[in-house]
Amino acid sequence: MTFWIVCSGIVLVAVFLATVRAIAGPTVSDRLVAVDALTTITVALMVILGFIYGREIYLDVALVYAVLAFMGVLIVARYMEGGL
Amino acid sequence: MILTIAVAILILMMMVFAVYSVETKDLLYAVVGTMAVSLIVSILFYVLQAPDVAMAEAAIGAGISTAVFVIAIKKTERYEHD
Repeated sequence: MTFWIVCSGIVLVAVFLATVRAIAGPTVSDRLVAVDALTTITVALMVILGFIYGREIYLDVALVYAVLAFMGVLIVARYMEGGL
Repeated sequence: MILTIAVAILILMMMVFAVYSVETKDLLYAVVGTMAVSLIVSILFYVLQAPDVAMAEAAIGAGISTAVFVIAIKKTERYEHD
């Protein structure tokens, strides 16, 4: 269990780095890719926390999130391309 | 203990994104910041043992609200001026 808590700490460092890039990135593309990476990191963090809590039903939230969360990135990317 | 520190770090990140999306002049950056705020709020609901609320927040915050905001920016204008 200590191992998984250390793993969640390392994932939080990744959250911090993605936040720094999303705030400091000079263009829209940098910020958008940083938020997309933050989405993937979030799914990993949800799976690790579900394992720490020991409840399998929590994995469904990570599944729904992984399916739905790319949609916002897709919409902003379509707007940047001029297609929306 | 460690999870408390983790929640504190997540709340700090959420506050950074929220202040950024209020203060920026480019509304598309504000939309991206709002998306990140909804992402981190979803993790916080998850940590607070409310996975159904986290699921609804993921569906609405990441998908529908971003779509509505971007369509509104497309219909009006992108930059905010004083």
